[in-house]
Amino acid sequence: MSLIGQKNKRGGFKGGARRNENNRIYVNPLPLVFTDPPRSRTKSILSLLGISLASLENPHCEGILDVATNSVWLTNTAHSMVLWRRGFFGKGNLSRSEPSWLARQINIRRTGGNQMTSEELTAKRRAERQQFKQDRAKAIQAAFAEAEVAFETEGRVVKVALSGPSIPSAATWKPSESAKPPSIPDQSTTSQDADHPVDEEEPPLEDMEHLQLTFAEAWFLLWTMDCLTILDAQTLEPMSIQQIWSTFQSIHLNPMLLLDPKSQPSPKLQLHFDNPFLIHYVAYHHYRSLGWVVKGGIKFCVDYLLYKRGPVFSHAEFAIVLCPVYEDEDDKTTSPFELQNTSPFSWSWLSTINRVNATLQKTLILTYITIPAKSRISPDVLSSPACLSYYSVREVVIRRFIPARMRD
Amino acid sequence: MQTHYSDISSLSTKYPRTTGSLFLVYNDIVYSQLWTDVQVLDLEPCTRAAIRGCRRLNANNTHTQIANIVPCTLSELVSLEWLDNAFVSLDDPPEVYLAITSDDSSIVYYKISRGIVKPPL
Repeated sequence: MSLIGQKNKRGGFKGGARRNENNRIYVNPLPLVFTDPPRSRTKSILSLLGISLASLENPHCEGILDVATNSVWLTNTAHSMVLWRRGFFGKGNLSRSEPSWLARQINIRRTGGNQMTSEELTAKRRAERQQFKQDRAKAIQAAFAEAEVAFETEGRVVKVALSGPSIPSAATWKPSESAKPPSIPDQSTTSQDADHPVDEEEPPLEDMEHLQLTFAEAWFLLWTMDCLTILDAQTLEPMSIQQIWSTFQSIHLNPMLLLDPKSQPSPKLQLHFDNPFLIHYVAYHHYRSLGWVVKGGIKFCVDYLLYKRGPVFSHAEFAIVLCPVYEDEDDKTTSPFELQNTSPFSWSWLSTINRVNATLQKTLILTYITIPAKSRISPDVLSSPACLSYYSVREVVIRRFIPARMRD
Repeated sequence: MQTHYSDISSLSTKYPRTTGSLFLVYNDIVYSQLWTDVQVLDLEPCTRAAIRGCRRLNANNTHTQIANIVPCTLSELVSLEWLDNAFVSLDDPPEVYLAITSDDSSIVYYKISRGIVKPPL
């Protein structure tokens, strides 16, 4: 059945059964889960006193620091699953969001492929849409050719209608057999598979995918949730929280230092209030604390996207552009970093970025993060996460005003 | 951990700064996009490695097209001169894919051609 038609009929909403299943799978908004003991008399007495007997379930996940990709990798599938399902942390490096590469490969091997993964569904929909556009272009071309013939032979001027019974529209078009999605094998390969059974001949699949956490995500899970341990890539020993705090900052300062295991890290870390890790963490923490699910926005020309409950439930409502502001302009000139969007922006920049996001039904938010002045606060406070309280976050919502349409 | 980088190891040690983006793009191309005959080329003027392979144009791999990819990260600055160098070093192909990676492992590909190219009908 055509996926384009389906989408139109249901207005892009997920079916009820699917929604219920998602509500069950993604019931926990964060990795930490409070489990209530069964009701008892002691419990009700204690709860009257404001004491809870609820126990805390902490998943204690393990990740490895990867300096080359500026991230923390989770290779344990169970750990990846917990962090993805409880709060949508990280991204599978071979998938659009949830790590599903292995499931996709198994699906391809099984060739039945009844249950398509989201990547396969997208591929199918795109192939169909392309076919639809081609069919429509062909039909329009044919209509024009017909009008041309009518004019030449009968001298009749026919005004070509760009819609009508002969021109396919999204509502009427049905996929033909030629619109095969790329990853679904056609009849010929299926019959070949019947001759050579796949079960035992192929080597077992190795999972080539990991869940990738950005430093901001990793620090949030580690510092505020206490449910992540980060291992050193060389020694595979757990790193101390102090080590991680300074490593996340120094990678942005001098990535070469950490890439080369022979060189010793400098004894004293240079501390800067405008370190990209700190700026991103301030924004990430701000929105996570307010209950939003925060994901990267590279595909929308923005820094972050905010989801109400998570990407499986709804599209992102807000697109965030980070605009760091130096409290003291002198700090900008002496900074080793080249932060983006620190200087006043042009109208064309704003127009472009807002156009992209308005088309995608997202509200654009400029998030201004004030970088404390070195002259006011000593950079020594940066040696601990306590420094985060010196940053401030302000938001400006941008919406294009169309006078002829927006009467309310 | 290091075994993950084995396919690209020779050029990733030569250009350690761009190892991350090269790794992410190479794995996406090989394991997700399923290109064939994928090789890593030295792109000296851009101080990084490029990727060349056969891009699938249909499901059965009967139609493929040789394509070139130049990886970079979101935090890098890309200039026209830099892109020009990439075209020259890759023997002036009609187009080059610029793969921009971010820290969450997302990759955005841009198709770059010289001059104005007529879009396909």
